[in-house]
Amino acid sequence: MLEIKNLHAKVENKSILNGIDLNIKPGEIHAIMGKNGSGKSTLSNIITGKEGYEVTQGDIKYKNESITKWTPEKRSLHGIFMSFQYPVVMPGVNNTYFLKAALNAKRKYNGQKELDAAGFLKIIKEKLQDLKMDSSYLQRAVNDGFSGGEKKRNEILQMLTLEPSLSILDETDSGLDIDALKIISDGVNRYKSPKRSFLIITHYQRLLEYIEPDIVHVLIDGEIVKSGTKELALKLEEKGYGWLEK
Amino acid sequence: MNTSSYQSEFEKLLTRDYFSPKINPQRKNAFEEFLKKNLSKKAWDNLRFSNLSALKNNDFRISEVFDAPKKNFKYPEAVTADNYKIVFNNGHYQKQLTTLPKGVEIFTNLEYYGNRKNKVAQPTASPFDLLNTAFMDSGMSLIVEKNIEIKSPILLVFINTGKDQLMISPRIHVDIGKSSSISLIEHHIGLGSGNFSNSTTIFSLKENSHCKHIRLQKDSDQAINAGNIHLEQEKYSKYYLSHFGFGSSLGSIGVNSDLNGQGAECHLSGLCLLRNHQHLDTHILINHKSSNCISSQNFKTVLKDYSSGVFNGKVMVEKDAQKTDSNQSNKNILLSKNARMNSNPQLVINADDVKCSHGSSTGEIDQDSLFYLRSRGIDDKTAKSILIHGFVSEIFDSAGNLEIINFIKSDFDKWIEN
Repeated sequence: MLEIKNLHAKVENKSILNGIDLNIKPGEIHAIMGKNGSGKSTLSNIITGKEGYEVTQGDIKYKNESITKWTPEKRSLHGIFMSFQYPVVMPGVNNTYFLKAALNAKRKYNGQKELDAAGFLKIIKEKLQDLKMDSSYLQRAVNDGFSGGEKKRNEILQMLTLEPSLSILDETDSGLDIDALKIISDGVNRYKSPKRSFLIITHYQRLLEYIEPDIVHVLIDGEIVKSGTKELALKLEEKGYGWLEK
Repeated sequence: MNTSSYQSEFEKLLTRDYFSPKINPQRKNAFEEFLKKNLSKKAWDNLRFSNLSALKNNDFRISEVFDAPKKNFKYPEAVTADNYKIVFNNGHYQKQLTTLPKGVEIFTNLEYYGNRKNKVAQPTASPFDLLNTAFMDSGMSLIVEKNIEIKSPILLVFINTGKDQLMISPRIHVDIGKSSSISLIEHHIGLGSGNFSNSTTIFSLKENSHCKHIRLQKDSDQAINAGNIHLEQEKYSKYYLSHFGFGSSLGSIGVNSDLNGQGAECHLSGLCLLRNHQHLDTHILINHKSSNCISSQNFKTVLKDYSSGVFNGKVMVEKDAQKTDSNQSNKNILLSKNARMNSNPQLVINADDVKCSHGSSTGEIDQDSLFYLRSRGIDDKTAKSILIHGFVSEIFDSAGNLEIINFIKSDFDKWIEN
C-alpha cells in the first residue's frame, strides 16, 4: 500500500526527516510514536502533499507508484486521506457543501455519477449516526465554533465519506475526552478491512488501546529508531523515549 | 483639472427647471468648492490613497432629451418578481413604469424642495457630494407615511445606456415616518459604456422606523459609479445596508450616518469585486450622537489583476453617547500580487462607557484552508472558489431575501470563473 524508502526531507532548509523507511501492507495498522519535533507531522504532511516541504532523497510509493510529484488532490482521489491534527476552520463554508464537493470530486474521478443533494444526504445521514453526530453538523460552517472533539469527529466523518485506502490519523486523540475517543475509535474499527491501511500518529499509547496496531514505530530526530509490536507502545508509556535516544 | 466641460455643462444646467432657480446659489457654492479643492489630497484628507483621476480629464455632458429611451426599449428583468418600482433611464424618470404601495408618495424634486421652501441642507462630505449638489438633474423623492409596514421591496432602477461620458446626478430623498418600515433595492444597471452616475440618497428616519436598503451596482466596466448615502436617524430607528459593487472602472460608496436619537441603529455591509484596473473607494462615517445606539460595518473586497481599493471607516462617539455599541470590520482578499488595498478603520471615542471594536485584514487566500480542501480531492481552482464563496457568504446573507441573493450570486459566480 505505502512504501517509503530512505526518505529525507527539509523545511526551509532545515532537515527534518533523515532517512525514513516504512512499509505498510494492505489491511495493516501502523502507529508512529514520538515526541514533539521528532518529524511525525512532517511525515504525514509529505505523504499528503502539503507544499513547503522539499524531498531531498528517497521516495514514497503508494500502490506501487511514486507520488512525490503528485498534487494533494491527486493523492486524495487515489485514496490517501489524512485526519488533520488541527482541522482548519472555514467560516462561511457550509459543511454539507464541502463534503458534497469532496465526495463528488471523487465520484467524478472514478467515473461515477455525481450525487445530487438528496442522494448525498442519504449517504451522509448513516455516517453521521455511526459517529453519533446530529444532523445540525451539516448546516454549520466547516469546523467553525466546533469543540475539539467535534472537529475530530468531523475529520472521521470525512474519512468514512471518502472511503480512502490509506488513512493517516495525525494525533486524532489529542484534545479528546474518553467518550469522544471511544466513538472515533469505534468508527475507525468498523471501517477496517483487509484492503484498507492506517497510519496512526500519536504521542500517547492511549489511542492504541482502542485501535490496535500491527506494528509500532518510534520516531526520533527524523529517523525510525525502533519498530515492534504493540508492547513497544506500552514500554514507551512506562519508560519514556530516553532509553532509545542516542 | 480640465474643467471646461464641467463649466459649460454647469451653465447649461442652471437653465433647466428640474429644481427651482432658488437653489442655484447652493449649486454654485458646491461647484466652486469642488473646483477649489481640485480633488487635492491636502483638501480631502481621506482621499490620500484614492485614485479619482478619472474625474479630472473628462468630457462629461449632462443628459439631454434625446438621451431618453426609445419607445421599444426592452427593460432588463427585475431583481425580484415581487416588487414596487421606480425606473430611471439615463436619468429620465419613467413615470409609466412606476408602481408604489399605499402610504408611499412620490414627488419630483421641484415639488419636494418647493414644499421645504428650497431650504434643504446639502451634503459636503466628498467631491461626489459636491458634484451631485452642483449637477443634480434627476431622481425623485419618497415620503412614507407613519405606522405602515411595506413588505415587498421598492426597486429604484437606474439604467445607464449612455456612451460619450454621460453624467447623471440623481438626487433622492427618502423620508420614513414614525414606526414605518420599508425595504428599498437600488439597482444600477450599465448597458452603455463610459457614463458617470453620481447619485446622492438622503434618508430621514423618524422614531422607530426601519429601512432595509440593498444597493446593487452593476454598471459597465468603463463607467464611473458613485453612491452617496446620508442618514439622519431618530431614536430607535434602524437602517440596514447591503451594498454589492461589481462594476465600473471607478466606484465609490459613501455612507454618512448621524445617530441623533437614543437607541438608533445603523448596520452596513458591503461586498465589492474588483478586476483589471478597477478602483473602488469606500468612505464610512458614523456619528454616535446619542446614547445606546448600535452601529456595525462589515465590508469585504475581493481584488484581482491590477485593481485597487480604499476603505476608510470612521466611528465618532460623542461625549453624551454613552453605552454606544459599535463594531467595524474590513477584510480583503488579494488574488493577484499586483492588486492593492488600503484599509483605514478609525475610532474616535469621547464617551467613557462604550463598547467599540474594529479590525482589518488584507491578504491572499489562506494556504492552510486551501491545502485542507485539496487534501479532500477538490482541485485547486474549485478550492479557491469555495474559499472565496465562504469569505463573502455573510455579506450575501445580509441581503436577507433568497431570491435577491440568488440573483446577485449568479453574477458573483461568473466573476469568480473569469
